[in-house]
Parts: sequence; structure tokens; C-alpha cells
Amino acid sequence: MKTTKTIFQDGNHKWVAIVRDPEKQNYLIDTNEYLVTHGSQGILLDPGGAEIFPAVFSALASEFDPGALTAVFASHQDPDICSSLALWLEFNPKMRCYVSWLWGSFIPHFGGTQQTFVNLPDEGADIPLEGLTLKAVPAHYLHSSGNFHLYDSVAKVLFSGDVGAALLPPGEDGLFVTNFDAHIRHAEGFHKRWMGSNEAKRRWCERVAQMEIDMLCPQHGAIYQGADVQRFISWFDELQVGVCGG
Amino acid sequence: MNPGTALAVSGPAGNTPQAGADLLRIVRINEEIKTVVRVAFKINIMALNAIFLAKRAGTAALGFGVLSNELRIFSQDLRESMDVLTSLIHGCVNDVSLVLQDSRHTRLLRQAVAQSSDQRLNRVLMAKDAENERHVEHLGSLRKQLGRALDDAARLVELGGVLAKSAKIEAAYGQTFAAALTQVSADFDGVVEEIRSSLESLRRSTFFRGN
Ligand SMILES: [Fe+2]
Ligand SMILES: [Fe+2]
Repeated sequence: MKTTKTIFQDGNHKWVAIVRDPEKQNYLIDTNEYLVTHGSQGILLDPGGAEIFPAVFSALASEFDPGALTAVFASHQDPDICSSLALWLEFNPKMRCYVSWLWGSFIPHFGGTQQTFVNLPDEGADIPLEGLTLKAVPAHYLHSSGNFHLYDSVAKVLFSGDVGAALLPPGEDGLFVTNFDAHIRHAEGFHKRWMGSNEAKRRWCERVAQMEIDMLCPQHGAIYQGADVQRFISWFDELQVGVCGG
Repeated sequence: MNPGTALAVSGPAGNTPQAGADLLRIVRINEEIKTVVRVAFKINIMALNAIFLAKRAGTAALGFGVLSNELRIFSQDLRESMDVLTSLIHGCVNDVSLVLQDSRHTRLLRQAVAQSSDQRLNRVLMAKDAENERHVEHLGSLRKQLGRALDDAARLVELGGVLAKSAKIEAAYGQTFAAALTQVSADFDGVVEEIRSSLESLRRSTFFRGN
């Protein structure tokens, strides 16, 4: 089973990271899921692949009533992001899925009906969660051509999907980045190869540099907090991406 | 469920190996059906040529002409019969795919139930199990329909065999055309035999021994 770690809490406004399953098969990439709750409702960010549904569901249920989960947010269309969708919908057929309009007719191949999907326009949108407004922030081409991050301006947390991702070796898989220079070595190859557009990267860096962010939470690897957030943005800004050895 | 067969399984969640094997068998059945359709097309052309030949032979080949026409109708009936089989095959592919998908989802839901104490998920699993059972039953009924449609096709081919044999007899009365008509009737006999053996191998498919 995965473990849960509350990374932000103010009353019933919470960010819970669902991470690190010791029983997970190694051939599946490790992923972080995040649950945001406010009032009595919750939204699950990048709910993960079908194979890890049991681990995510049980971890989430230990922390929050899964019946109060009203929506999932899919940063993009990858299988590690949302191939579990059909299983979440088995549990709650009324659950909605926020995703880029680009993938609105692709993700139903994983599950869901026309009623399930809320297509996000390229410029982004507000996502309500019982009195809290979350913002879908454009991050197109990073790496997917229709890609969003999710910003909570109250908690000052940015969920950054594959941006900030690191493929951590065993023994160096702490939940938070503690030594930026050591950590970023595990992120470099991923960003050079998976991120395809220097222009998109520059625009994203300019956009998020203006946002108040205490924690930058990627879908793989460790969470950047405090000064490491700005450190990461500067590092990413300077990195040449779209690099392939082939 | 049919506990008497080696491939029978105890419940929907355990259907994956059979469903995977079924998919392979269905593909083979479909290939055989395509062969029969090609042969039916061949009979149609052969029968048309035979009708012209009988016309040229005149009164000596009146009987042969009638039989050629019947063989042409037979080829069309055979084509229709294969269309029925093809649409049943498509239904089977659909059901087998559902059973395969059910099986994966049920496995994952079962794991989630084992790891979590949420009783509602158990109810979801039970509903899913019931749905899987319905898919398995529907596949079972299609399997039976396909078997019956194959029996119908086999009876049709028996009739085709009789027509081809009768054409052989009629050819003997063809006077100067007797040799040509005999050759044509032997060809008819050959292709009907080809279809008969195709259908026989279809009816022996282990797909029909599933539940
Ligand atoms: Fe991705
Ligand atoms: Fe990813």
C-alpha cells in the first residue's frame, strides 16, 4: 500500500501526498498522487495508472472518504496519469475528470462517458472545490501538447505534473528535496528528454516565477519547498530541453 | 458454466486464460469463414459459366442447366449464411473483449477491497462480478447461436453436394457436350467438398466446447 503524507493543512483544507509503495513492481514508474480537500469535498490530482489503483484507493481511503471525491484532475493523457479512471468511475460514476480539451476524446479510451469530462481551454480555467478556487495553469508541451498544472493560491502549492519530476534511485527517495544539487542530477535526463519545447519552458518559467509557491509538487520524485522552488525554476529556465541522443 | 471441460473456470474473474484462447479460436473460425466466402464466390462464377454452357448444349443439357441455376442460388444462400456467421463472430469478439476487460478490472478491484476497509468498494466489486457473469452468459449464448448457424450451413452444403452429384449424372446426357459438362460437374463436386471440409473443421473447433 502507498503511504499518505499531509503536506498542507488549514482546518479541512488539505493537501495529501499519496506516495511510495514498497510493494509496487519495478517495471511500473513510481508516481505521486495528490489529494486536495476543502469543506467536505476532495479532488484527486493525476490519479495514476490502473495497476496502482488498489494501492492509491486504499491509501486515500485511510485518510479521506473516497465517496466525497467529486473529481479527478488529469494533467495530461499519459497512462501513468489516468489509466485508472475506469476503476474510479466504477466506485463513483458521477466523478468528473478535468483535462485539456485536446485529450477530451482520447482519455475516454481509458473509461468515462461524455458526462465525465470537463474540457479545459488552452488558457486554463478555475476549478471550484466547495468554496475554494483552484487554478488550472497552462503548461502545454511540458511534456504533453495539452498539459496543465494546478495551483492553489491559498495553500501556495503548485502541482506541476511531469515538470520537476525526478527518477530517484532506491535509498534517495525522500518525499522532500533536501539537497537540491544532489537531487537535480536525477531530474536532468528526464527534463532534457521528455520536455520538448524550449519556448514553452521559458513561458512556463516566466509564468510561475510570478506566483507565490511554497511547494512545487511533481508527479514523480520529490517535492521542492521553500527556496528550492525558485532554484528549480531557475535551473529549468537554463536547461536546454528537447535533447535526444538518437 | 460447464465443469466438464478442461477450460471451464470457476468464476468471471478467472476467465482470462479462456477468453484469450477464445479470441485465438475466433480468429481461426473467422479465417475459415473467409475461405468459404471465397469458394462461394467461385461457385457463383462457375454456375454462371455452366448455365451458358448448358444453353449452348441445347435440349440435351436442360437438366444440367436447371441444376446449374440451383447451384448458383446455393452459392448465394451460402454467402448469406456466412454473413450470419460473420456477424455472430463480431458479437463474440465484442463479448470476449468485455470478458478480458472485466477480468482485469475485477482483479484490481478485488485487490483494492483486500487492502481497504471501505465496504462500499465491496459492493462495487459484487456488482462488477454480476456484470461479468452477464457478459460470460451472453458470450455463452452467442457461442450456441454460432454452433446452430454452423449446423444450418452444414445442411445447406449437404444440399449443394446433392446438386453437384445430380449435375454429374445429368452431364452424361449431354451428347457432344458430355465431356465438357462432366468436367464442370466434377469441378462443382470438388469445390462443394472443399466447403464441406472447411465447415467440418469449424464445427470441431474447441471454441464450441467452452461455456
Ligand atoms: Fe507524462
Ligand atoms: Fe508522468
